[in-house]
Amino acid sequence: MRWIVAFFLIIATIVLARALLTFDPSRLPAEIKFASSDVFTLDPQRMSYMQDLRISRSLFDGLCSHDSQTGLPTPAVATSWETSPDAKTWTFHLRPDARWTNGDPVTSMDFRNAWRRLLLPDTAADYSELLFPIRGAPEFFAWRTNALAQYAAGKNHDAESAKMLWESTLAAFDQMVGIRTPDPHTLVVELQSPVPYWLDLCAFQTLAPINQASLDRFTKIDPISGFLKSDPGWTKPGVLITNGPMKLVDWKYKRSMRLEPNELYIGPNTPLAKSVEVVPIEDANTAVLAYESGSVDWISDLTAEFRADLAESSRKWLDRHREEYDLRIDAGASVDEALAALPAPDPAMGERRDVHVLSAFGTDFWSFNCRPLLSNGQPNPFANARVRRAFALAVDKVRLTTSVTRLNERVATTIVPRGSIDGYVSPTGLPFDVSRAREEMASAGWIDRTGDGIVENAAGEPFPTVDMLYMTGNPRVKNIAIALAAMWRDALGVQCELRGKDGKFAKEDLRRGNFMIARGGWYGDYADPTTFLDLAKTGNGNNDRAFSNARFDALLEQAAAELDAGKRMKILSEAERLLVEEELPMLPLCQYVTLYMYDPAKMRGISRSPRLDQRLSRLHRVDEQSASPSP
Amino acid sequence: MGFIIRRLLQLPLVLFVVVALTFSLVWLIPGNPMLQEGRQPPQEIVDAMNRQYQLDSPVTFFGGYVARVTGIGWVMGWNDAPFDLGPSMRNPDWTVNEIIGAGFPISATIGLGAIAIALIIGTIAGLVGGLRPGSWLDAGTQLIALIGISVPSFVTGSFLIVLFAAKFRIFPIAGWGTPAHAFLPMLTLSLPFAAYIARLLRFGLVEQMTTDHLRTARAKGLSRRQAAWRHALKNAFLPVLSFLGPATAVAMTGSFVVEKVFAVPGLGRHFVDAVLGKDITLVMGVVLVYAVLLIVLNLVVDVLYAWIDPRIDLANAGSR
Repeated sequence: MRWIVAFFLIIATIVLARALLTFDPSRLPAEIKFASSDVFTLDPQRMSYMQDLRISRSLFDGLCSHDSQTGLPTPAVATSWETSPDAKTWTFHLRPDARWTNGDPVTSMDFRNAWRRLLLPDTAADYSELLFPIRGAPEFFAWRTNALAQYAAGKNHDAESAKMLWESTLAAFDQMVGIRTPDPHTLVVELQSPVPYWLDLCAFQTLAPINQASLDRFTKIDPISGFLKSDPGWTKPGVLITNGPMKLVDWKYKRSMRLEPNELYIGPNTPLAKSVEVVPIEDANTAVLAYESGSVDWISDLTAEFRADLAESSRKWLDRHREEYDLRIDAGASVDEALAALPAPDPAMGERRDVHVLSAFGTDFWSFNCRPLLSNGQPNPFANARVRRAFALAVDKVRLTTSVTRLNERVATTIVPRGSIDGYVSPTGLPFDVSRAREEMASAGWIDRTGDGIVENAAGEPFPTVDMLYMTGNPRVKNIAIALAAMWRDALGVQCELRGKDGKFAKEDLRRGNFMIARGGWYGDYADPTTFLDLAKTGNGNNDRAFSNARFDALLEQAAAELDAGKRMKILSEAERLLVEEELPMLPLCQYVTLYMYDPAKMRGISRSPRLDQRLSRLHRVDEQSASPSP
Repeated sequence: MGFIIRRLLQLPLVLFVVVALTFSLVWLIPGNPMLQEGRQPPQEIVDAMNRQYQLDSPVTFFGGYVARVTGIGWVMGWNDAPFDLGPSMRNPDWTVNEIIGAGFPISATIGLGAIAIALIIGTIAGLVGGLRPGSWLDAGTQLIALIGISVPSFVTGSFLIVLFAAKFRIFPIAGWGTPAHAFLPMLTLSLPFAAYIARLLRFGLVEQMTTDHLRTARAKGLSRRQAAWRHALKNAFLPVLSFLGPATAVAMTGSFVVEKVFAVPGLGRHFVDAVLGKDITLVMGVVLVYAVLLIVLNLVVDVLYAWIDPRIDLANAGSR
């Protein structure tokens, strides 16, 4: 028996030792904890995921930042700026007192270095194209890409020749790209042509500055490929040098991340939060349970299958107090203040006040494959715009949002969310009209000739079974796919087959054109219609549909050259009309919504502007008593 | 001793085969780890990434990998450090060594804790049933054990969360940080193991009780309980012990389901994420750790076996 006891003791000792090593009780719980998707990277130039950008917004201050109410660009590191009369040259004046967390001043060189990094193909930035409006930027990108390819094909692969390549790259950047730093606090940017949304881009997080010295310690030139390679270590706590209102104090892989105020910070975004912890929870149900038990204060993207029911219970409560709520809003209260001041919800009646449905700057759509042939070599019926129009006309979008997703999203007939951009008038788009849909099908030659409920072409061949590709993992997408298939079968007499694939593999199919209709969707990056319309440009990397229309491309080019802002918007509006009324490479369904879960009587600082650019530094706890003053 | 050394000498060869097989399987998964959902980088960038991570040629990739992991590259001066499992392809801010270093202690804590709990529950249940075969206590524990084996962890895990964390709020939900975070995952993971141990022990005991030496012990005047305690239990435990080796390895490398349900950042979750994302280096790194653990634990079990049962002769078994 002794050995059994000994075995138990050994195991118990190991477990205890392990427990002591992995648990870290030294730190107090954070003031605000929120559930988020896994953070991908903290490298500002490489990021593109919403959860990464959200953290970066508190770690790094760019030239500008977005106002939390209006979403318009406001000063951040730049205190003021002017433009030349031709609107091509921008001069930014940086605040002289801005500091990095290591005490270094934030200078114009830091921006220039960061932007050069964003433009280097070595960095593999998803967003390098954001800088392409700058004079010489696309040319520099192409030059470096070509130079690296030549280096790889060449004979000399030693440290010396790699260094020479890098030095000539630095010289090429200086010579080609219109970014100048006359002094440490002045940054001059020359654009190829006027860009009305340039300031908005300057508030985008991938254009944040970088502390070059801190990065250089982790960077080396790879002699084999000639690439500039960064070691992953540079974004870790204690190493990462930032200039934003918060600093990174802890980051454990897919476990936790903690931000605390940066005491050296001088700038407009003074933090209200004392400490914020990011809790990565991928499972939607676990996130809700964690919220219900008080482990997190905010769910930043509520995707649980029963979220429509949760939203319904919040709506029910608000409807009961609608009058009082409107009075408070009219009296100037913010939405959260007004919600917190209403009588508490009655759980017995199935009421809640902590589920918030916010419209986002994004459009949910499905893509039509526009290639003349399918990937299996068969002719593609969707190459014909009439067929695409017919499929678009046959969709009852109101029914989709009220009884399929049940989130009452705003129905969309356009790709650019209606009313989201100042000065832009959206085209009408196509209505829901089954008889017109059938006419379009008939005019494309697809008529039910045999009376079996399925349309055939003139040669008597039935309409090929529609291959509908969607991404698994989100029940909402699947439900929409099922509903669409039923609508098309009933209205148009076509058979559809759903093909669910994991996101990554679906992406491969999209790139190869292996689909007829596929689930799409897009979130805008900056306040201009082109952030959506570029998707339909010939050859665009995100043009999964392979749509190509000379008139549309010409309109976009014409708009890019137009100096008058009003006229430019009219041209873009005409371009979108072409997309959503005639060509239909994609079928817009509705505007995206994001569901948040937080109690406005306990936590404040959430922005409700459609960009949903949340600043973690603004989150803070409120006392439940003081939050609900008597009216 | 010779046996142990021989087994350890086989280790590198076994590991090489495991890594080579894993590599060819992961390489065949369709998709490119550099591509992601959402915004697509320009084609030039994708090409640049492929070259940077040597994804353009499986031969270069595998050769470079073996050199880096074994330390040959370090000796030759190609790499900065030996035993470097490389950068994670889907996590630009982390190396595979860092990810395994972060995930493995967590999975190991849960796994060892689960095995400890399973041993306690399983032994008690097995004893109760084995000493009184055919009694209602035996039938009851066997039924519970059957349920424990059949019900999947995501059901027991969710049930425990709803009961102890959401309703009674005794334990926290999601994450890692305090011993309280560890208990429910440990318990969930332990139940199937406990059930298995209970069954093994129960049947072992019943069988042992009918052997000749037990009958002799009873004839000499030992009570049923004394005989079982002094003579039968040790032998009845042998099958449990051989089960414990691989079971500990499985438990320690992390259960994806348990880690997902409790949002625990363990190795099992990282591994599944890596497979789904075709994170070649991370998949190979985790498989390597798993293989080492499995081989070493099996060796430990074999040695323990010889210690408990003098009839087993390792020196001869090894030279067969």
